[in-house]
Parts: sequence; structure tokens; C-alpha cells
Amino acid sequence: MNANNIIKSLTEKFPNEILEPNVESNIRISSYVDKDAIVNVCKHLLETLEFDHLSCECGVDYPDRNEIEVVYHIASYSHPVVLTLKAKLDRDEPQIESIVSIYWNANWYERETYELYGVKYTNHPDLKPLLLPEDMLGEWPLRKDYEGFPNKTAKNLV
Amino acid sequence: MGEIIENVSFTATSAIHEFLKKTPLQDIINWGRKNSLWFLTQPMGCCGVEMIAAGCSHYDTDRFGIIPRVSPRQADVIVISGYVTKKYLPALKRLWDQMPSPKWVICMGDCSISGGPFYESYSTVQNIDEIFPIDVFIPGCPPRPEALIQGFIELQKKIMAREDKGSEY
Amino acid sequence: MEQTIAPSEMLLHLGPQHAIQPGPYLLDLKLRGETVVDAELEMGYIHKGIEKILENKTYLQGITITDRICYLAALTNNEVFCNCVEKLVGIEPPQRSQYIRVIMEELSRIQSHLLGIGEFSTDLGFVTMFLYMIREREEVLSLIDMVTGSRITHSYLRFGGVREDLPEGFAEKAMSVLNDINKKLDEHEDLYNTDKIYLQRTVGVGVLTAKIASDLGVSGPPLRAAGVAFDIRKNEPYLVYNDLDFKVCTEKEGDIFARIKVRLDEIRESIYIIEQAFDQIPQGPLFPVGTPYGRRTPVMRVPAGEVFCRVEDPRGEMGMYMISDGSDKPYRVKIRGPVFPTMQALPPLIKGTYVADVAAIAASMDGCTSEADR
Repeated sequence: MNANNIIKSLTEKFPNEILEPNVESNIRISSYVDKDAIVNVCKHLLETLEFDHLSCECGVDYPDRNEIEVVYHIASYSHPVVLTLKAKLDRDEPQIESIVSIYWNANWYERETYELYGVKYTNHPDLKPLLLPEDMLGEWPLRKDYEGFPNKTAKNLV
Repeated sequence: MGEIIENVSFTATSAIHEFLKKTPLQDIINWGRKNSLWFLTQPMGCCGVEMIAAGCSHYDTDRFGIIPRVSPRQADVIVISGYVTKKYLPALKRLWDQMPSPKWVICMGDCSISGGPFYESYSTVQNIDEIFPIDVFIPGCPPRPEALIQGFIELQKKIMAREDKGSEY
Repeated sequence: MEQTIAPSEMLLHLGPQHAIQPGPYLLDLKLRGETVVDAELEMGYIHKGIEKILENKTYLQGITITDRICYLAALTNNEVFCNCVEKLVGIEPPQRSQYIRVIMEELSRIQSHLLGIGEFSTDLGFVTMFLYMIREREEVLSLIDMVTGSRITHSYLRFGGVREDLPEGFAEKAMSVLNDINKKLDEHEDLYNTDKIYLQRTVGVGVLTAKIASDLGVSGPPLRAAGVAFDIRKNEPYLVYNDLDFKVCTEKEGDIFARIKVRLDEIRESIYIIEQAFDQIPQGPLFPVGTPYGRRTPVMRVPAGEVFCRVEDPRGEMGMYMISDGSDKPYRVKIRGPVFPTMQALPPLIKGTYVADVAAIAASMDGCTSEADR
């Protein structure tokens, strides 16, 4: 598996969905992906390109562009290439299809991104808070404009 | 009281304890209590690992009668060994309620004293000393096992001097 | 999990405080007789918001926070954070620093595995082994203490190097302790291999096959015990692991016994790595010459960019995704801990087993709640 071959295979299969492909080094590649095509792209990655390990999935908030990016780091157990896929979502109503059907361990990552950023995953089997107590849902603490941070309830601080 | 036994009278008041507290006999009771401070192991963070290490062979708190227990029903001391989060606080209160009296609290590490490195986090609860009657604070991030042992010895001194918050005088 | 239960079923809550747990989490089990028919894990009891805090600290302050992600692998957490910054800035630590990092991280791996095996043994009721393992671990901790000045949270690594050089006579002291541990480890393994009760409780219990393990996204010893030779030190070498000779320890069975065997073998392999590193370590500066990076790095601005780094934690693949916007604080840090997927794989693994085996299976995964919750 070669980084250039992977990019070539992806852009040939998805000419309109894979945007700005970028080879950072021979083991790191990144690209933007159209948010409607994420499941198909992941299926292609898993079935033909040996990307069988979802390393990580997270959100990034960009309030000045009014966007939330969902970032997928997809790796493999057999080759060292890590693909960084990014999908841009609307910040007011972020919504994307879940990839739990492709990568089973996306389940908790998506629940985490949901409670911290408010990204709604459609077709997720059980979308509910994972780390935070139920009553903190809706505060989206990892967004940049979250007001509860820093927490000023501590007394006797010097 | 459940069944009645002949020629034996029961009392439902704690008058005897109130009386004993005014007599020197309480010193003997306190001597017994201070020499068997069993603590609840509920590791909550970095300090939890040091707490486990303190209970094991190298530091050997057993020689002071300080023995780790895993059930709150058998414990005398609860060591708050880390950051208390909004989600964990109800469980911690429940553990505290499940412990039989007399019982004491030790705050181990900066996180439980003041929030430590996480004092500004959205998820942690501050001012633990307003929630639990804390007798000893052990600063450090994390404190070494020796410091934990010293904290227990301070607690023993407080119990002997009748200054602890665990029993009411 | 459905909270409604049939008349023949029973709901059992293990946690948030329970003897089998390295930290608070809640394992809800639905039992029919002695068999677990459904399980659900709830966590977040010690979620402290490290990612948000890191966004609001300067890079140098961030090192201190990364110590507290997982208290048993503070050095590898430092490593992944420093690695990210070094890649963004474009510096590389000199050879001597890289060797020191390898030595310290392998020591950290040894103490983590010793505690992991020990905790597992207590959960089986094998308390003797726990005390033996802790005795060995204290020796390793005092070695780490000798160099870094603290037992658990070291903050030892710096961008482009390490904080202190190795003290005089450290190599001899370390090798005598490690050779001693190596000998004792053989005795301990004999105890494990010949104990009938231990064998009955571990062999063939909690089997995680290679296919299922990789589908669940597990990494580290549970995956290697199933036969997949996935180790970041080999797959994507960092530091000087390319110059060192070591093998990836694997087993085929994928049961509890194999997981513990893999950890015991990895301790021996780490001792071998440290031995080579002491032989090969060159003299030289600790920080790259001609750069402002040193023990006390001034307020530094990191060029804008993003990077994803991976290192091999004692528990598996530790990754970090860092976005810098050119200021003195990171814009976003995502920590991809190895325990998060391992904990996620626990409920499907214990489904269908006996309730008495739950403690053994959960402990054999060597979870660190602090890191999973962050």
C-alpha cells in the first residue's frame, strides 16, 4: 500500500466527493470528503484498501467559519498509512450519517462527539451521552463559545 | 429491637455513648478506634494508585492497623483520592452514607483539596470540604505513600485528642 | 440495554465502586441464572475535560496535564504530546535524548504491566502474586524516581529532549534491578503455569479471536494475545526503535491466559530493549544544538498546521491529533487512548459468559478508567 496509490484509487472512485487530497508524507494522507458520501467512502476504504482500523473520530469547532468539522483517522492493522478524512458540517445544525455499520468502534466516538459538540449522527444505534451526566446535554462543552469554562466555582483561589 | 429476650433490657437511645464521651473511658475507646483505621479503596485518579501502593508490602500500612477494604460497609475511613466529577458525586455521597459510624474522611491530593490541575474544568465539582467533614488534607500531586501514612498518623493524633470531625463531642 | 427484565432474569450493577475496578465505571449485567445475557458499560465518572483544558494551556504547561491522562503511562503520554509538537515545529531530539526516552518509556511499560498483572491476580483471589508484583514494581518505580524525581507524574520530557540527564551509575543500578526482576519473573510464571485453579479460571475463558478483536478496534496486549502482531514500535517506528532488536510478543489463543502471557513476555522484551539501549547510548547534548529549545522553553509559538501521532502505550495504540493555529496554545487536541476501544469491547466479550468470569475478563483487559474518560 502506497500513499499515492490510495489517493489515486479514492479520487478515481469518488471524483466529486473527495476534495483537496493531500499527501503529507508517505504514511500520512488527508482529504476532505462530502458529508453525504462518508459511508460509501468508508465502505470502499474497508473493502478494497485494507483500512480495517478506525483509529479515532472527533469534532473540531470553527466558529468564525460557522462550521464544525468531523475528523476521521482511519488506519490499518497491516500497513502504517493513516488517512485523515474531514467532513464539513453546518455549525447551526450539524448532522452526518453514522459509520457504525462499517466500523463497529465508531459507536462510542460518535456518542462522545455528540455530547461534546452536538453533532447529530443519523442511523446511530443508540445516540445518548457517554461521558457527561444527562443534565449537561445541550451545553456542548468543547465548542469554542462554551461559557462554563473556566469554571469559577472554586473558593479561596489565589 | 426485634425479639424480646427475657430478663434483658434494651435501650434505643444513645445516652450511654453520650455519657461515655464525658468520661476518661472514651480515651480507651479512641485508642481502639485509632489503631484500626480501615480505609475504603476506591481509586479515582493518580492518587488512587499511590493509595494501593501504600497498602501493599513495600509501605505496609498494616503495621499501623490501617488496612485496605473494598466494601464501604467494612471501612472506617474514606480517602477521596482524586477529582470528584459531577457524575461521580452522587455515588461518592452514597458510599459515604453506606459506611457505619464512626467514620472519617481524608482528602488526598490537590484535586480533591482545590481542584488541582483541573480546577477550571467544566466537569469537576469544587469545594469538597463543604460536602464532606474532612479531617486531614494531604497535599501533593500525587502525594507519595509516605505522605498518606503521615496523613493517617495525623488522623490518629486527632482522634486521641478528641478533635476529629468524625465523632461528635 | 433494556432495563425491563423477565421474571427469570436479574439485573446486577457492578460499580461505580467495585473491587474489580481500577477506577470508577459502571457495568450493568443482565443475568439469567449464572449466565450473562446482556451487558452495558457506563463511564465518564472521572471525566475531567482534559481536551478542553489543553486548549487553554500553553504548550509547556500542557506537558503537565498529559501526565494525568493515564497515571500508569505518564511517559508515553508525554512522548505523544512532545512528538506532535516536535513534528509541527520541525525539530528532532538528539540521539542521546532519544535513547533516554526509550529507556524511560520501557521502564514505564514494565511497571505498568507489573501492576496490570498484579491487579488481575487479586481479582482472581491470587493475592500472593499481587504483593509479589507490587514488590517488583516498587523497585522499578524507584529507578524512575531516581531520574525524574517523582513516582507517577513525571513531566520528564521536553520539546526536543528530556529534562535531566541520567544520573551517574544509573545503568549499573538499573541493570542489576532488572536482571533480578527477570529471574523472579521466571519463578512467578512457574507459579502461574502450575496453579491448577488459575489454569481452570483462565485457559479458554474470555476468548477474543483475531477477527473479532480487529473488528472491535482493540489494540495492545489483548490484540496481540489473539495473534495479530500490531505494534506501533514496529509498524510505524518512532524514536530509535529501528536500531533496536526486539520482537513483537504474540500468542494464538486469545484467552485470558494468553493476555497475561503476552504481558509477562513484554516485560522480558522491555528489559532486553533497555539492555541494548544502555550499550548503544551515545554521549552528546540533550537538546538540538543551535535551537532555543531547552529545559525551560520560552513562550513558544508553534507554526499553524495539524498532525496525528501514534506511539505504543503499555495498553496499546496511543494517538494524538493536534491542530495549531500559530498561537502559543493548541487549537484542538484529541487524545485517542488505547483503553477507550478496549472498554468498548468489554460488553460484547462478557456476553454469554458466567458471572464468576466477569471479574477475570474485565481485569485481564487492563483498563485504565482515567485514560478512557480523560
